[in-house]
Amino acid sequence: MSDPSRDDERHLVELAKRDPRQFGELYDRHFQQIYRFVYSRVREQTAAEDVTSEVFMKALKAIPRYQDTGRPFAAWLYQIAVNAIADRYRTLRPAQPLEDFHDLSVAGPALEDLAAHRDEVRRIWGLVEALPHQQRTALVLKFQEDMKIEDIAVAMGKSAGAVKLLIHRGVTRLREEASSLRPVE
Amino acid sequence: MNSYHDPELEDILQDDELRRVAAVLSSVRSPEPPLDDAFRTSLRRQLMQQAWAMSEGRNSWWRRAFAPPGLAWAGAAAGLVLIASVVVWGALQQPGGFQQVFVQSAIDGKSSVALQQPILVSFNQPMDHQTTQAAVQITPATNVTFAWDQNSRTLAVQPASGNLAPNTQYQVTIGPGAKTQAGQKLAAPQTITFVTQPPASPAPVPSPRPSPSNALGEKQLASLNGATTLSAQWSADSSSIYFVDGKGQLAVAPAKGGAITVITPDGASSPAISPAGDRLAYIRGGKIEVLTFAAGKTDEIKATPAATLVGWAKDKLVWAAADGIYTEAPNGQSQLAPLPSSGEVTVLSIAPDGVHAIYRQDQKLFVLDLSTAKSTQLGQAKAAFAGWSPGGAFLLYSTADAIVVADPQGVTQATLPAGEASWSTQDAILLGGDTELDQVRSDGTGFTRVANGTYHSPLWAPNGTSFGFVRGDTLLVAAAPTLPPEPTALDEAGGVVNNFMQARLKNQSGEAARLLDDSGKKAYAEGGLKLLVNGDPHFSRYYVLTQDLVATAPDTVRVVVRLVLTHGKLDVTSYEETLTLVRDAGTKQFLIDKATAGTHRNLGKGAEVVSVEVAGDAVKVTFDSDLDPGTVGGGLVILDSKGRQLDTTASYANRTVTLSGLDLKEGAQYRLVVLTTVRDILGHNVAAEYDLDLVGPAVKKHGNRRDAGTPAASPGPSPNAGAASGG
Repeated sequence: MSDPSRDDERHLVELAKRDPRQFGELYDRHFQQIYRFVYSRVREQTAAEDVTSEVFMKALKAIPRYQDTGRPFAAWLYQIAVNAIADRYRTLRPAQPLEDFHDLSVAGPALEDLAAHRDEVRRIWGLVEALPHQQRTALVLKFQEDMKIEDIAVAMGKSAGAVKLLIHRGVTRLREEASSLRPVE
Repeated sequence: MNSYHDPELEDILQDDELRRVAAVLSSVRSPEPPLDDAFRTSLRRQLMQQAWAMSEGRNSWWRRAFAPPGLAWAGAAAGLVLIASVVVWGALQQPGGFQQVFVQSAIDGKSSVALQQPILVSFNQPMDHQTTQAAVQITPATNVTFAWDQNSRTLAVQPASGNLAPNTQYQVTIGPGAKTQAGQKLAAPQTITFVTQPPASPAPVPSPRPSPSNALGEKQLASLNGATTLSAQWSADSSSIYFVDGKGQLAVAPAKGGAITVITPDGASSPAISPAGDRLAYIRGGKIEVLTFAAGKTDEIKATPAATLVGWAKDKLVWAAADGIYTEAPNGQSQLAPLPSSGEVTVLSIAPDGVHAIYRQDQKLFVLDLSTAKSTQLGQAKAAFAGWSPGGAFLLYSTADAIVVADPQGVTQATLPAGEASWSTQDAILLGGDTELDQVRSDGTGFTRVANGTYHSPLWAPNGTSFGFVRGDTLLVAAAPTLPPEPTALDEAGGVVNNFMQARLKNQSGEAARLLDDSGKKAYAEGGLKLLVNGDPHFSRYYVLTQDLVATAPDTVRVVVRLVLTHGKLDVTSYEETLTLVRDAGTKQFLIDKATAGTHRNLGKGAEVVSVEVAGDAVKVTFDSDLDPGTVGGGLVILDSKGRQLDTTASYANRTVTLSGLDLKEGAQYRLVVLTTVRDILGHNVAAEYDLDLVGPAVKKHGNRRDAGTPAASPGPSPNAGAASGG
């Protein structure tokens, strides 16, 4: 059975391929998630705006040649974003403190657990920042953006197997480096 | 929290500790980041401005290529709506019993009907087979067979020859003698009219589909250790790549994979292989070092001022320094050309032939002729250098949204889609980037998607079979598929004729005149030819009868195109124009140089020629009607340029007369004559003698190959680009 929302998105993409002036609807749909992802990586508003502009401008120029591979359109935008961020990382390191971005509030746990969890989260994500670039990107797309492995593969220009390997290595390294990890129950 | 479960990760997170880490990672919520609504709105506005600019420029070549299918689908959709409307309307006319017999067909009124199909005629009531079949009249004269569906409501009228005639308007009339099974007659004759498409052209070369990246045989060669740009060169035999990584290490990686050999551990830049492939020059510590492979010896050349970039002019070193371009001299070094002394000047590249160099002065890009020391600006401010043709005779630079192919005088030769470019010895230009890898010929033709994915800094191997590229922090190598064959001169000229005729059909005289050179304009202005054919009957469609390459210096193509004039829905007259197209020496584009028109022929008065194929030993002439075979022998003759009749053997099948036993000479003039003794199956003679001038077939010639080495192998047959049906 076809997914109506995917069909609708395919229709919008086809319209935009034939007439780029129809791209506005796709922009409206995907701006927030792309901006959020970019911000999560560069953690500075002006830089996030620059990169987000670059992503959508590149997408608009390339849309006449976009080819549906069966993955969500957003995966393609993430792919452009991943590359744009990688280019920026070569010259710009994230400057803002980690806790300014990651919302450490978690619904439900008792206060003492919450405090412990905040520490763990801060520590874990601090360790994520020290991971090799591709492991870091794979973890963010999986655990923060909640993307499917196949879509992350598209976004990163890799096979699904390679993405799983990156996640496995990243999580394994985090485990090794966060020996006192204690998740909130 | 430690019971993290994700089916996608089950196989890699089997350990409790790993799942606990994943649980923590997934427990973090991403809050909405600070967002300035003005930014969101402003970006949307910028995107829409860009989108409008793109839409206005959609007549560029690669977008045009995508337009016809869209129009075809729109037409098909409109047709379906129309058919559905007729069906609904028909159904509404039959309350409580059928009042009237209606006839309809999905192809009624269509202008490009496929040849290999029966003519389906539908009725709103079950019909009596015998009286209905007897009431069918079809023009042009055609032997047909009949078949019915189970409900006796749809009649299939099938030409006995198997196919419909090409380029032909058919009228199928169901006369009043047709009865329903209830005995009711048609109130009046009802006619279905349609036009068939041109004869089948040779199958076009399929455009390669984007390959999954592994289909390109991608191999990782080396880590670039943080290098932000690729500084690399292939070995002359295409077996390995010399590259400088982010730490300044110069190394060589075998293209087939394997161990990397370090040449110098740090501080290296600008590797350059000599044209003979026997030496490698690079800069280290402000000095030029030259490694001679055979001897394994490194020589050092001290350049003053210090060298910033090194290249080769044949077997001599050429290098850039702060104040000019230098080369070796018996007493040390000599300056080939000075660089500007004002502004911030950076030399970006020395041409493969060592004749030119590219430099940036502040925001502007220049090409410097090393023999005259003259500089020419390339494009506008902020243009960026993108590469050389393999021999150095052409260069590439990028603008905000395109790659420009230019000669060293800065004259634009072609414009290509944007991307990171590399030009192969096979005249294929790779265009890499974040999301895709494309390939295009240097004249802008043959654009194909090679793969989706990230392909930065593509770099062709000299043999043109593989290329290096960068993904992330890694140097990789892959093999690219070959481009489809170049369009032939006939294809290119056919495209111009098609555009010319389409413009005339749309009454766009300016657009049509743009495809005429001065002599061609004179032919239409003073030669009695009409550029716009107005009035009644009106110009409704056209098709190409023959197209021949008649000369190659410059390329000259002669095309005979038939214009059909229509009154109401019916084709009533046709005449032919003979167009001679010559390739312009400057732009390389074909323009119409000469034009003559033939006499008008009334249609519907006997068989007409609708297609002619010329081979060296035979000429195939296809008619719109089934012929009386007994009238074919002697009814068609071939004359040479002196009016002498050539000996031929005529055979006839399926509306086509084949005149064989010929030995036509390449480029020689001949004339096909169809005499009025030829009759169709209804006994109508050809209304008036028909003459068509022919040219002995020539070897098809390829178009605009630039500075790309050995020409490609001969291509397959070309598609019949000009044989489009108009209207």
